[in-house]
Amino acid sequence: MNADADATQGRLHWTSVSEASHAIAAGDLSPVELMQAHLDRIERLDPRLNAFIQLDGDAALAAARVAEAEASAGRLRGPLHGIPVGIKDIIDVAGLPTTCHSRVLQDNLAESDAVCVSKLRQAGAIVVGKLSTHEFAIGGPSFDLPWPPARNPWNPDHHPGGSSSGSGSGVAAGLFPMALGTDTGGSVRNPASCCGIVGLKPTYGLVSRRGVFPLSFTLDHIGPMTRTVEDNALMLDCIAGHDPLDPGSAAVPRGHYAAALDRGARGLRVGFVRHFHEIDMPADPEVTAALEHVMRTLQMAGADVRDIHLPTLGEFAAVNRVILQSEAWSIHAPWLRERPGDYGKLARRRLMPGAFLGAGDYVLANKRRAEMIAGVNAALADVDVLLCASSMDPACRIDNSSDVERTYPRQARTPFNVTGHPALAMMSGLSSGGLPLSVQFVGRYFDEAMLFRVARAWEQASGVDRKHPPIG
Amino acid sequence: MDKTLVAELARRAGLDKALAEFPEDVAAAAAQAANVAAKIKAPADPRAEPWPAMRAGEGL
Repeated sequence: MNADADATQGRLHWTSVSEASHAIAAGDLSPVELMQAHLDRIERLDPRLNAFIQLDGDAALAAARVAEAEASAGRLRGPLHGIPVGIKDIIDVAGLPTTCHSRVLQDNLAESDAVCVSKLRQAGAIVVGKLSTHEFAIGGPSFDLPWPPARNPWNPDHHPGGSSSGSGSGVAAGLFPMALGTDTGGSVRNPASCCGIVGLKPTYGLVSRRGVFPLSFTLDHIGPMTRTVEDNALMLDCIAGHDPLDPGSAAVPRGHYAAALDRGARGLRVGFVRHFHEIDMPADPEVTAALEHVMRTLQMAGADVRDIHLPTLGEFAAVNRVILQSEAWSIHAPWLRERPGDYGKLARRRLMPGAFLGAGDYVLANKRRAEMIAGVNAALADVDVLLCASSMDPACRIDNSSDVERTYPRQARTPFNVTGHPALAMMSGLSSGGLPLSVQFVGRYFDEAMLFRVARAWEQASGVDRKHPPIG
Repeated sequence: MDKTLVAELARRAGLDKALAEFPEDVAAAAAQAANVAAKIKAPADPRAEPWPAMRAGEGL
């Protein structure tokens, strides 16, 4: 695929970030044309997908005109010059509301950009609008909020995953080529899995949380969501970096994340965490078959794959929940006391448990967390990367609350919020029902480059980046 | 957790209004808290340090 061919075929919306970046720099693609193609698609498809809480189309088009003039004069702001980006609506964008998809913050206008948004703008990206989320990034697909939940472009009757629902839905549908999501228990990787795109939860502390509404201070991560692995690395290059005003920010040198992208899988040592999907939470047979296919493909490409054992998913999930709900309660207690009716039912039920957890529960969870971190570090001493399930099922119907309730916890993402290791989810194939299946790769702290290398090896062997939802 | 205890803990947490308007949600939240807390294994050594270890400037 190249930008010229897509433009002539009216498929500019499938242009990748990397392709657009090169084409704009070469003067072969107009930022205005690129933006207009996406705005046209948003106008046509968003009424069915509800990816946006607030579209900022006029401002985005005006910014694209400025970007075009700058590019014509040979001035490029950075690698994302003139490229549209969508922002999850718990992340501040100056002049736009940060509602967190909640009645509680319906009129909350952001005065300045979050650090991650500011970095994207410095790289030249143009914000197209604010995107649907689960309420406060925890509720679930809800129909009792001021805005409807986002839907899955592969089948709008199905859940797009969450909580970064609009980010996943919009990137997959070609409404924008990249988005920011947040991940506290899997909320970047879940929509990436459900919508068949690439979602990265970076190492804890690699991307500043400043300007992002918190859910759980020690579990929150901000991550890039894109249609290709290369785009994800490019986006991470732009948003990573130490922030002395974020208490969780890590003072480590920023990597060059695309450096090892095309080195292939030969010689890689891959640890396959089978017990997650075979014993702890037996996965849908199609998910299992797709994971085996990924494993065999990497083996055939020269990787050495061996089985790895970690603590059970059940215990990881419990540690995640106790920490998340304790920390979230410390944020939401005043509102839950005074205006519980302003929350949707799902968020209310998921935020109030913190009121019933004690200090001992929280400390115990953090003691166990330290052991779990040691366990994952020990596993990663012997292998370069872990391969495991992300979602145990394809996306369920969005209007079936018992199915949502049943499938939501059937995932292997929370372990790496607990431990802080970087984890990337992407498509492993399509189900017989035409919905994306997923795989997850997990790396050592700050070794996102290794994740991108193995993910790219799978992407190139399988062609999953060329699969788009049949919507349009 | 029995109903009286849930109500007592909810009031102690300042959730009187939620208890009056959404008693089922309060009960569900209490049940969820008890359920997840019970699933965590205590480390064998009670002196084990919680995360984050105090390593100023080192991050993870």
